[in-house]
Amino acid sequence: MSLQVTTLQRHLKEKKRKKLKEAFVGWSFISIPMFLFITMNIGVLFFAIYMSFHDWGIMGSRGNVGMKYYKAAFHDHIFLKAIRNSILYALIVVPLQTALGLFLAIIINAKIRGAKFFRATFYFPSIASSAAITTLFIFLMAPDGIFNKILSFFGVDIANLFNQGAWLSDSRTALYSIIGLNAWTTSGTMMLFYLANLQTVDGTYVEAAAIDGATPRQIFWKITMPLLKPAHFFVMASGMIGALQLYDQAILAGGADGSPDYSLMTMVLYIYNLSFRHFEFGYAAAIGVILFAIIFALTVAQRYAFGNSAWNTDG
Amino acid sequence: MVKISRKRTHIFFLLMAGYSLVSFFPFIWSLSTSFKKQDEVFNMNILPHHATAGAYTTVLSKIQPNFLSLFFNSLFIAVIVVILHITLAGLAGYAFARLRFPGRNALFYLVLGTMMIPDQLRLVPIYQILVKLHLITPHPLNYLGIFLVKAVSAADIFLMRQYFLTLPRELDDAAKIDGAGPLQTFLRVMLPNAKPVIATVGILTFQGTWNELFWPSIILQAPNHWTLPFGILQFKGQFSTDWPPIMALVVLSTLPILLIYIFCQRYIINLQLSSSVKG
Repeated sequence: MSLQVTTLQRHLKEKKRKKLKEAFVGWSFISIPMFLFITMNIGVLFFAIYMSFHDWGIMGSRGNVGMKYYKAAFHDHIFLKAIRNSILYALIVVPLQTALGLFLAIIINAKIRGAKFFRATFYFPSIASSAAITTLFIFLMAPDGIFNKILSFFGVDIANLFNQGAWLSDSRTALYSIIGLNAWTTSGTMMLFYLANLQTVDGTYVEAAAIDGATPRQIFWKITMPLLKPAHFFVMASGMIGALQLYDQAILAGGADGSPDYSLMTMVLYIYNLSFRHFEFGYAAAIGVILFAIIFALTVAQRYAFGNSAWNTDG
Repeated sequence: MVKISRKRTHIFFLLMAGYSLVSFFPFIWSLSTSFKKQDEVFNMNILPHHATAGAYTTVLSKIQPNFLSLFFNSLFIAVIVVILHITLAGLAGYAFARLRFPGRNALFYLVLGTMMIPDQLRLVPIYQILVKLHLITPHPLNYLGIFLVKAVSAADIFLMRQYFLTLPRELDDAAKIDGAGPLQTFLRVMLPNAKPVIATVGILTFQGTWNELFWPSIILQAPNHWTLPFGILQFKGQFSTDWPPIMALVVLSTLPILLIYIFCQRYIINLQLSSSVKG
């Protein structure tokens, strides 16, 4: 009897030891990545919040200023312009790139001739660097550039156009031109995401609907689109996070001031400006925190709108 | 999938052909412009009347820091970041997928949650930290700042974890029976079986780092540390509207990525498949 108990105890002890060993191995495997995440991501998030309450110069804090920067931001016309530009940009570019990506994916998925070739060329604008492609875009959109040449070929009178064909140097059209550029470059990535998800849509639903006499249009709206819901969430959420961080194209086309007339000033470009041209690190941090709050709120809202299934990470 | 009538197929085919022209033509145009002379830049001809490689000699010999320095800085930074991502995301992805330890799920969600922290919020405090660590310097230690910022990627850990989840349990068990420790199991059994996801993570990290403008433009101090995208930003101002050399720089900086795309396309498309969100 007592012998049995000790065997059982030994067995349990052994099991516990093994469990502890596995836990130790697990923790050591994730130790370096976790250390970096905790310091360089989560830690700096709190550091940024701390900084946003301080007058922070090159040498560090010059004293606590409370909510001063958060209040100041909403009376700062450059910041208001930046937040307006960033949100307007995101609100237009995300539906545009998503719709275009979905459209391209559905046609390629319908197995038209040359589907592989089309997939490769449509994704192509997504692979070049933003620096290269924006520079190329500025060249194409120049007043004498090929875009205006093509317009005038179709009968548009460039010289009498409201902006004289100066798409990027007119404050009325600069942001919309960048929207066009990024809808074009990002739709390739969105297309690939949708293509992958279309392949997971169960063909039997479509067949069953077809047998019941549903038209292709009905099948698309009533079956394919709802089944793609998780994909819509992912594409829109990641698209939104990306769009609110517009920086590269804005600084390349409009310089650090988002010229002309702050029409390309974005939240991120303003953070850059405050940090490295005005050395107002506390104010820059406050704007970073506002940006984070917006991104966080939008992600949560989108998650509610599309349900929880999208982030089912257990695959 | 959705069946399309014959007449519609033709319309869609034409639409697609038109859009592929829109996707591709700008790059042809930049190539064409890079071989033109300045006075021919705004003519509509694709083939230059007087083709010249003058723009390329300008880019290769006249810009400071020179092109090769920009190129090798980009390459160096991209290769190190690829190695860091594969190693660290591999270890973490494997642990999150296969090893049992307290706090596993909470830590994994914490990692995913960091994806919502915008780089630009990190910028302000990280710059202060790098200054304190004396990494904002013309000394080569400057590169270390980039590596610290870019060493881990939540998306890559997610990808690696998803892949390791699909590998059969028997692999771990067999290794355990053969007396392999956890590190040996990871290095000898798991990694060799994870080649497709390693290729995908590697190629996408390379592409992303090679193309990146944001962090290099903030951290890299001395011109001899600059990368190609940062170089383009600088020279676009310097050359102003002297388009042939600017387009030559665009062509030369895109070429490596184009080659990778042509030869590794299936891995790039693979990513979208493996990371596709499941309902």
